[in-house]
Amino acid sequence: MPEATADNQNRSPRGASPFWRSLDELQNTESFKEFVAREFPQAASEYPEGVSRRRWMQLMSASFALAGAAGCRWQTEKLAPFAYRPEGYIPGEHQFYATNIFWAGAPRHLLVTKFDERPVKIEGNPDHPGSRGAADTFTQAATLSLYDPDRATTAKLWEQNRSFNKSWDDFEQALAERLAEVGDGDGLAILTPPIDSHAFYATLDRVAERFPQAKFYQHAPLSRENELSGAEMAFGKRLRTHYRLSEAKIIAAFDADLLTGMPDSLRIAREFADHRDPDGDMNRMWAVESHFSTTGASADHRLPMKAGAIAGFLAQLRDKVKELSSGDHEHGEPIETEPTPEEFLEVMADDLVHNQGASVVVVGQGQPPEAHAIAHEINSLLGAVGKTVVYTEEPSPRVGVGTMVELMASMSDRDVDTLLILDGNPVYDTPGFAEALAEVPHTAHLSAFEDETSRLCDWFVPQTHPLEEWGDVIAWDGTVGVCQPMIAPLLDGRSVLEVLALVAGDRSPDAREIVQSALMEATSLSSERAWNKLLHDGLLADSAAEPVEASLQQTGVEPPEYVASEDRLELVFTPSSSTFDGRLANNGWLQETPDFLTKLTWDNALLVSPATAKQLGLAHEKVARLSVGEQSIEVPVYVMPGQAAGSLALALGYGRTSAGRVGGLVDAETGKSAQGIYANDLAAFWAPAPADPVGVNAYPLRPNATVGFLTDGVSVQNTGKDYLLATTQDHHAIDQLGLEAIGRRTGELIRTARKEYYEENPNFAPQMSHEVMVHVNGEHRPTDPLLPFWEYTGDDQYVGDTPPPITPAWGMSIDLTRCIGCNACMVACQAENNVPVVGKDQVAKGREMHWIRIDRYFRGRVDPDHPDDPANFENPEVAYQPIACQHCETAPCEQVCPVAATVHDSEGLNGMTYNRCIGTRYCANNCPYKVRRFNYFRYTQPLYQEANRMLQLATNPEVTVRSRGVMEKCTYCVQRISAARIKAKVTNSPLTDGSVVTACQQTCPTQAIVFGDLRDKESKVHALATSPRSYGILTELMTRPRTNFLARIRNPHPRLSRPYESELHGGHGGGHGDEGHGDGGHGDEHHEEPHDGQHTKEAANA
Amino acid sequence: MDRFHFPPWVNTFTLLVIGGVLAGGAYAGGLLFFGTLPEVMYVGYQPTQPVPFSHKLHAGELKMDCRYCHYTVDQAAHAAVPATSTCGNCHNAQKTPDGALAKTVVHPDSPKLQPIRNSLATGEPVLWEKIHDLADYVYFNHAAHVNKGVGCVECHGRIDRMEVVHKAESLAMSWCLDCHRNPEPHLRPLDQITNMDWDPEETSEQSREEIGRLVREQLDVHPNTNCTTCHR
Repeated sequence: MPEATADNQNRSPRGASPFWRSLDELQNTESFKEFVAREFPQAASEYPEGVSRRRWMQLMSASFALAGAAGCRWQTEKLAPFAYRPEGYIPGEHQFYATNIFWAGAPRHLLVTKFDERPVKIEGNPDHPGSRGAADTFTQAATLSLYDPDRATTAKLWEQNRSFNKSWDDFEQALAERLAEVGDGDGLAILTPPIDSHAFYATLDRVAERFPQAKFYQHAPLSRENELSGAEMAFGKRLRTHYRLSEAKIIAAFDADLLTGMPDSLRIAREFADHRDPDGDMNRMWAVESHFSTTGASADHRLPMKAGAIAGFLAQLRDKVKELSSGDHEHGEPIETEPTPEEFLEVMADDLVHNQGASVVVVGQGQPPEAHAIAHEINSLLGAVGKTVVYTEEPSPRVGVGTMVELMASMSDRDVDTLLILDGNPVYDTPGFAEALAEVPHTAHLSAFEDETSRLCDWFVPQTHPLEEWGDVIAWDGTVGVCQPMIAPLLDGRSVLEVLALVAGDRSPDAREIVQSALMEATSLSSERAWNKLLHDGLLADSAAEPVEASLQQTGVEPPEYVASEDRLELVFTPSSSTFDGRLANNGWLQETPDFLTKLTWDNALLVSPATAKQLGLAHEKVARLSVGEQSIEVPVYVMPGQAAGSLALALGYGRTSAGRVGGLVDAETGKSAQGIYANDLAAFWAPAPADPVGVNAYPLRPNATVGFLTDGVSVQNTGKDYLLATTQDHHAIDQLGLEAIGRRTGELIRTARKEYYEENPNFAPQMSHEVMVHVNGEHRPTDPLLPFWEYTGDDQYVGDTPPPITPAWGMSIDLTRCIGCNACMVACQAENNVPVVGKDQVAKGREMHWIRIDRYFRGRVDPDHPDDPANFENPEVAYQPIACQHCETAPCEQVCPVAATVHDSEGLNGMTYNRCIGTRYCANNCPYKVRRFNYFRYTQPLYQEANRMLQLATNPEVTVRSRGVMEKCTYCVQRISAARIKAKVTNSPLTDGSVVTACQQTCPTQAIVFGDLRDKESKVHALATSPRSYGILTELMTRPRTNFLARIRNPHPRLSRPYESELHGGHGGGHGDEGHGDGGHGDEHHEEPHDGQHTKEAANA
Repeated sequence: MDRFHFPPWVNTFTLLVIGGVLAGGAYAGGLLFFGTLPEVMYVGYQPTQPVPFSHKLHAGELKMDCRYCHYTVDQAAHAAVPATSTCGNCHNAQKTPDGALAKTVVHPDSPKLQPIRNSLATGEPVLWEKIHDLADYVYFNHAAHVNKGVGCVECHGRIDRMEVVHKAESLAMSWCLDCHRNPEPHLRPLDQITNMDWDPEETSEQSREEIGRLVREQLDVHPNTNCTTCHR
């Protein structure tokens, strides 16, 4: 590409910024312009679709007439105290319990908040090394699944396509009769998910003792089999691999989503962020991947590569590492242009070898065993074993366990007479299972929902939610923890453990007893006292697995031969960031959480790179027919920058037909969808939106659970049909239009630099903010504010003789270097603040209600003359920016509110009083950060419907449930501030730093968010707000935000300097030189000398 | 026929009609405005409880401390309505197998206490009517007030004189703010919090305000008037 000016080459067509959100933005399409220009892309005054004016008038007059009759007297309430008070119980106070659950395929370690004996909020257990207080999106949303009104309530027996409601007694009787017939267990098969638990193993042993011929199978649709087979190939043993990023300086990830996709991602992410300190040790991440993952987005260098080519690439890396580590080598010359894969490989190998013992290679679970074996070899060549890579024994049951493939083979051979499916949904996630199931005469399914599998089994019995059951977990690192019930089973469910114990012959299984005795036997746990401590702590101290010596048995593993010609398509299956493998499909919080990278909600889509899309004739938001061999599905296309050319990616876990009224509920016989929960428009309150399947089911294309990608027989063609994808990537885009004209006065929203640049110019980020200057009589000074700045004199209402107390000045700091865009804060906020779910239709209109959003920006080589030139989008960088209310000291929203519903308080919070709000939406129109959310409809309506009453239990009683017509936004978790303030008052102690922890901060796996008192000089947030990296966004508007961001510092390899890397700052100055002041007389001036982020400092010192 | 003329009294009548309409409107408006004031609407609300529990007897004549029953008032946001078992400490008429009363019992056979006995036998709660019922968007915290020198009587009135409890104060926002803006007349030493009879001007030289000021300094009382203090 000709080097025009470095400046305009890298800017988006909107002119101001090299960062862009979407291809729509680059092309400046109409839909993007609308999202930027209008706070509310669709006005609420429009009549809802599908309602005629006449009908509207009828409905509204009826509503008004009834409203008049209902408003005469307030609702009375009744108090229902216990007949006998439980010991130590204080009504309305929070209680915290440490527990562990198996959730979304991994052990999770929790601290559960209970309010009046019901779990309302899930946080990570701060004492557990696998969590350290963090919890991911799936885990945060577990409370909503617990109170899901679609959960199964009763056992059922299916006979001749008719179902009969049954009780557990009936099932126990039927089971006993059946088991009596199977004798020694010949023909009995039990299918469970892989569960790492001592009680589970012990109970399996007892079942095997009673039925020696019984067969056990384990199945998870997102299988770790490749990883274990790879270890077996390399070491002769199925070992578990642990990555110690605390020891690693150089991390190379190959199709591996280290930061969000591993069972122990929370620990990994924390270690990654802790060793990514721009002022100290900073690690470097390399990523080679076919589709964007959060790891690739956080990486310093990323190479898009077909998944099928990665094993071969690893083999080349192995050879290169061997070559470089065999003797002294010279560092090559810097590579100025975009590196070729060979150059990338060479520099990466150089970097890995140069940091021997502190470097690590990681391969993802979708890659074949050979790739894992090669990575093990590279790691041992690098001297990483025992330092950055540790191996432990893989916990496994003592009974022999078969795979799904083996089970299906024996089912088809009619070797299975009785099949118990305990948890799991194989009919949905395993092609061919339904047919094989028809060959089995006696089947039973234990599941929390009546799902696809339940319908094809004879018996269905309801399962407990993990928060309702006793159990134990072996954490990823081997630490033993107990799963204690947080609430008695709400819907008469039983756990896998209890049903297994029934099979083993227990009359009425006591799960607590089973767990306790299993742990007494398997661990050092010896006394009742130690058991109580284990319950209290949530983990058994010092029970982590010992690392084992692993010696390479086999070297020189050859990568598998793929038909990997350039023009052949490959299809990569990815886990869903919302539904995991499909099991969480009925969780509205997760469905509405935008994907990490695509920002897609309520759907999956076929990701395809712009170049490939052009080549194949595919288009964004058009349906394509995707075929693999005989199978084909229709799926919407999402054109995704950074996707490897010729590689298609599709998330698993969608297209459920029997998930529930959120994830999809289709009548098997009539093919009609049931009524959904979430209303889609005003009309939907009378005829709720149908519960159509969300997204498209990709499982039929995947032969079995170990297949991560297909390289053979994939074809795709455009059908030309339109499809609406509800992506939030263009929503709430902060307006920088017109900046050319005002000399690009506002600084970048995202400020980023290479580590070397930052070291030379530590103040670069605050310097990018420009004050509006006035020139009067030769005097240059910042312009005066229109209104006086807020004075922090303490409590302004204070009367009396004693001096006003020092009130805190709450503020937040968000470190963009640490943020990995994992969405944990979004779901935490949703759970904490009763943020409603609005449904796909409303999201598509830009009406999602999340108080905190994570803006994802791309930054790449943009050809300004041909914005749709696909070459621009091959490998963009990604930056994340969590945005919630900035709590401006001179908040523009407050100045326009006609009823003073949003006002400042003495601690600097921009408060929102819902009962005062009349819904003019002026505030949102005046908010430059676009953080205010309006309740267009009564999104909380489902809570009040009789069928969904259980959902009410999931709401946080400390926060108001908002109704229609009310504006809402982030409050800095004011309920938590109040709780801390009251606690300090009651105990007569001062508020200390760290006594207020917001929900987003609490759960952040990388500790990117810090909240506290800016006035407290000792506080962590004060230190961060006064750090040289700290800047506020849009401070030029004199909003004086209380939230500060820490600039994103990257650590690319010195030899790989991408051409625009150093542009930002140079170009920034250039922009001033050639545009802002070209014609003079503007009356504004850019400070050439460094000034130290005055807004920020004042805010911090105020 | 002659043209119709309005008789002269119509002039007066018209004025009277106009005046009447204005006066009637003013009356209706006044009625609506003053009639719906929180002081009018809420004060005196006195529902019938399932058990005619007399605070006058228990708190007044027997001088039981408020916290014997409302035991969480100084620890939590809610001042707990007691569990039925608390009533049962005196009124539990459970009988031993030989038919005698299990312990000394007050009014073992009173029909008024039947709901209590039922609750104790079945474990089902007694459903009391909530009298002091704030709107759901208001978050009041008892502990924060009781530990800072605000006595029970300030908001609940002379409970010890109420045979049947009624709402003594409006609990409207302006009423809350009156005290938050000027707390001193409403503060008392912590050892007098539950004392409904406390009147410092009878026994000491100091006035309420002076004592309030002292208490305020001693307990570091600085009430907020921020919206966010009560509305979340």
